[in-house]
Amino acid sequence: MKKDINTVAAIKLLISRLVVYGILIFLTFLCLFFFYLMFINASRSNAQLQAGFTMIPGGNTIKNFVNAWHDTNISIPVGMKNSFIVASLSAVLTSYFSALTAYGTYVYDFKYKKAVHLFILAIMMIPSQVSAVGFIQLAFKYHLTNKLWMLIIPSIAAPSVYFYMRQYLEATLPLEMVEAARIDGSNEFRIFNEIVLPIMKPAIAVQMIFSFVGSWNNYFMPSLLLNDLQKKTVPVMIATLRSADFTKFDMGKVYMLMVMAILPVMIIYVILSKSIIKGVTSGSVKG
Amino acid sequence: MAEVLLKNIKKIYTDNESRKKGRGKFRQQPKEGEEEKKVSLQITDEGVVAVQEFNLDIKDKEFIVLVGPSGCGKSTTLRMIAGLEEITSGELYIDGNLVNNVEPKDRDIAMVFQSYALYPHMTVYDNMAYSLKIKHVDKAEIDRKVREAAEILDITQYLDRKPKALSGGQRQRVAIGRAIVRNPKVLLMDEPLSNLDAKLRNQMRSEIIKLRKKINTTFVYVTHDQIEAMTLGDRIVVMKDGYIQQIGTPQEVFDHPANLFVSGFIGTPQMNYFDAELVIREGSYYVETKGISVKLAEDKQLRLKENDVKAQPVTLGVRPEHLTIAEEGINGQVEVSELMGSSLHLHMTVDGKDVICIVPTEGRKVNYDGKQLKLAFTGDVAHVFSREDQHNLEY
Ligand SMILES: Nc1ncnc2c1ncn2[C@@H]1O[C@H](COP(=O)(O)OP(=O)(O)O)[C@@H](O)[C@H]1O
Ligand SMILES: [Mg+2]
Repeated sequence: MKKDINTVAAIKLLISRLVVYGILIFLTFLCLFFFYLMFINASRSNAQLQAGFTMIPGGNTIKNFVNAWHDTNISIPVGMKNSFIVASLSAVLTSYFSALTAYGTYVYDFKYKKAVHLFILAIMMIPSQVSAVGFIQLAFKYHLTNKLWMLIIPSIAAPSVYFYMRQYLEATLPLEMVEAARIDGSNEFRIFNEIVLPIMKPAIAVQMIFSFVGSWNNYFMPSLLLNDLQKKTVPVMIATLRSADFTKFDMGKVYMLMVMAILPVMIIYVILSKSIIKGVTSGSVKG
Repeated sequence: MAEVLLKNIKKIYTDNESRKKGRGKFRQQPKEGEEEKKVSLQITDEGVVAVQEFNLDIKDKEFIVLVGPSGCGKSTTLRMIAGLEEITSGELYIDGNLVNNVEPKDRDIAMVFQSYALYPHMTVYDNMAYSLKIKHVDKAEIDRKVREAAEILDITQYLDRKPKALSGGQRQRVAIGRAIVRNPKVLLMDEPLSNLDAKLRNQMRSEIIKLRKKINTTFVYVTHDQIEAMTLGDRIVVMKDGYIQQIGTPQEVFDHPANLFVSGFIGTPQMNYFDAELVIREGSYYVETKGISVKLAEDKQLRLKENDVKAQPVTLGVRPEHLTIAEEGINGQVEVSELMGSSLHLHMTVDGKDVICIVPTEGRKVNYDGKQLKLAFTGDVAHVFSREDQHNLEY
């Protein structure tokens, strides 16, 4: 009798595992399949690509790379550099200042604090396209197009990042720790930089990845603000290439460009994901 | 020199502040063993009155313990001394200087928090060195001080560890270490032992007594545990609902509780209470209850006379260890008896009320369960409290 129960349990376990792994494999496939396709396509020539899909790599990788690199309509090193400047500065500044703001509304008591909090959150509801119109007009009026910092500065005010940081603080930062630092003689700014920021490292890493990727892939705003080749970011360049010259349109080259555009994002992800360690604060307060 | 003088201190939490306190999971939970009953605080138009009419003169190097049930305003008082909480009215002097508006960092105090509040990303060494680094003390000096404090607290071998790699007791020591490295004028501690298990708590309690001998500073220690209060304090301040109930040495508070609340709060098991009559016969005070009459001791007679106390119905209080089994006395029935080793705790009912009586076992084995016993007490251990306002009629 006992043995029967055990066998049944074992079978149940097996079935549930099969189901779970099945789902996981399917999801993984969904995620990775299109990456795979992209890499495959980047290795095929335009003619091959027009012939249809295949799972087998073609032999055109080097040629596509050379073509992309030497295309006169674009400049990959310049694009990479511009994208990198915009994305990394946005990521760093957004995370830092959002954390600072969240800390401000979490730790300090001031009049209308709740209203301030709600106001910031309300901004989240406004689609960026709406405010973009006014922003673009402003940029044109004051001749501020083709300036990279015009992409960086507005991204610093990010309500959703603020919201995330605020939630994270509420969950991880005991006010007593701030008070302990005050009694230790630290000033408010120093407390933020030396005590709070390190505790928020995982949240900051997450938000840096998100805003880096978001900024790196951003096409909407840069396409409106940048038309000087020396200032264009990678997505804008890819778009240029697509629309530049129909007679010489080479899909293999475009795919290769996409691969090149994605690589830095992957590298950043690998670097930052290391610092998303759980339990950074465990041990500071009672376990 | 570090005297702390609190003059008519009052704290009102305005609505604005109350909102902040309600948030988050870091709001202090009621501690184990602490009564969780809702206290009746004064809620005025201005807000919650957490502490009022607080007058206390803490002498240099004195060990003061604030004790009372949860929510009575102990932490608030401590935080006002630390400068973490604004003082609504009254004056706070440290070393003769008015410090009401002085920032915590300029008060030269240190504080040990209940949650320890160690910096999780720093090693034990850096945790302890942080305050000195801020003061730009030079490296060699920091090193010397940190190692000295670590030596005192026996945590030298953990200096390179992060707090999360330490046990509760070790974290506690680090928290204390962080407070003592900079020789504060006043060392404030808010329920430092309440997160430790019973055994460790006892051990740390004696460590604190030892620590106190090694470092020369004024201590203000908050606890809800009356045993901690009795064993640690030079003087203890019993609080309830934001008011001081009594200030005195542990012995004074134990022997001469100022009112019913203090008598019940200090001492375990709790004091027993009987409805009684205070009568005067031939110029002497007697308490009469349940058919017995006990003449009060000489010193009590004097104090009662001095206060011109009239004969009246009173609440009589007698501690469990002062009740004895006798031929003549109050009738009671034993419900349960607990053997505590050298003594036996008899849980009895007297006229439907619970009464505890402690009797020495003296190695004999007596089964009291279910027995009818007579309880007696002497005139020097009887406390008489007013029925009207519950104060001790002797004072
Ligand atoms: N920030 C606050 N806002 C409103 N009320 C508070 C605040 N802090 C404490 N109180 C109230 O003041 C009273 C005293 O609190 P506290 O000093 O923490 O008590 P204790 O430390 O003795 O348990 C409690 O009733 C508590 O609810
Ligand atoms: Mg408290």
